[in-house]
Amino acid sequence: MHSRKIAWWVGIPGVLLVLGVMAFAIFEPIQVLPRIRLSPGYLLADQQGESFTSEDVRGDIVLYTFRYSGCGEACEGIDQTMIDVHSRLGEVDMGDTDFRLVTISFDPATDTTEVLTTEADAFGADGVQWRFATGEEAHLANVVKAGFKVWYEEQGDGSFRFDPTLVLVDGWGVIRGEYEYQTLASDADKIIHHLDILTEEIRNANGAAGLAYEAAHLFLCYP
Amino acid sequence: MTRTPKIIFGVLGGLVVLGAVAYFFVLPRFVPYVFHGSTIQSNQAAPSVELDGPNGSTVRLTDYEGKVVVLYFGYTFCPDVCPITLAKLDRAMDILGDKAEDVQVIMVSVDPERDTPEILEQYMAHFNPAFIGVTGDTNAIDRIATVYGVYYEAEEGSDATGYLVNHTATVMVVDKDGYLKLVLPFEGTAEEIAADLNFFLR
Repeated sequence: MHSRKIAWWVGIPGVLLVLGVMAFAIFEPIQVLPRIRLSPGYLLADQQGESFTSEDVRGDIVLYTFRYSGCGEACEGIDQTMIDVHSRLGEVDMGDTDFRLVTISFDPATDTTEVLTTEADAFGADGVQWRFATGEEAHLANVVKAGFKVWYEEQGDGSFRFDPTLVLVDGWGVIRGEYEYQTLASDADKIIHHLDILTEEIRNANGAAGLAYEAAHLFLCYP
Repeated sequence: MTRTPKIIFGVLGGLVVLGAVAYFFVLPRFVPYVFHGSTIQSNQAAPSVELDGPNGSTVRLTDYEGKVVVLYFGYTFCPDVCPITLAKLDRAMDILGDKAEDVQVIMVSVDPERDTPEILEQYMAHFNPAFIGVTGDTNAIDRIATVYGVYYEAEEGSDATGYLVNHTATVMVVDKDGYLKLVLPFEGTAEEIAADLNFFLR
């Protein structure tokens, strides 16, 4: 009789603990974005001809995209997504975290500072929250191809073949979202939703809430 | 004492014992370790490193499988950030004690023009004889630094220092299986670095 009571008192909390862990894994009360890999370090020049480095946006959430000024229809999708995200930022409570958009041109021969300025003006990119940038050809290959893992190739006639892609990076410089336009819908709704998830995680980075978020990473609670 | 208070005290006592056991022995196994840096969850091996090491050797990241590798990007003429970081890493090795034998600290030079393997060897030995400095041609350094999230740029210095090199000051940790797992900030203390490294040495 006595041992049965002890079994109850030990067993019930144990069962509750196991059920709690299972419920966390199944219902995912907290969602997180995966910490995919490091985003590359870079030294570029922006649309004002000013030096622009990966350290300039450390601590900020950044949405990157990659294009060239002559890409026309191939860029319409990602361009519109960038414009939409830019115009809908008011929907996300960013708290103390700054959000930036960065458009990197992989065609430095054509996309001079003047061309980047014209492009940036056409998109309403102010050079602070949204920057257009490019750099030296060899460094761009390291940054875009090896670092961001976005493929592009010059075709010999001044045009490029490339994978239209958007990349979301957190303040640590860790890639948290990759949106390949042709294989995965990279609409603004999804990116705005991911920004919400990311800023929520940043707000709850410390204390008990921080532990819960780390547990969410362990249980792969990804949207 | 009547039977009811006995039961209440018994139950309360049991709960206290159960709580203590859970707090000290069970919960630590379930509570995830919170790192002092940012973790990486990539299922791909850390970007390859193949550069010039001491005594004409070629140093590859894969040479250290089975060890935790601490990667840092700096240079020997660095006036402040690099010596502070390397001193902290040395202190972290002291804290780890015997476990430090399973850790390899490697500094990749972001100043390949001035940092020869010989100069790097002498410099690193000032901090810890087990630390290694590596260098290479500018293209190789640019590729490796870039994919490890490191920016660097030469800038004018004084007559005494010559040019300086601005660079990202984070520290990267590659686990025993060759996966990049952690990025530590410059601000981290030796104790925090040691605690995080200890996690990968379990």
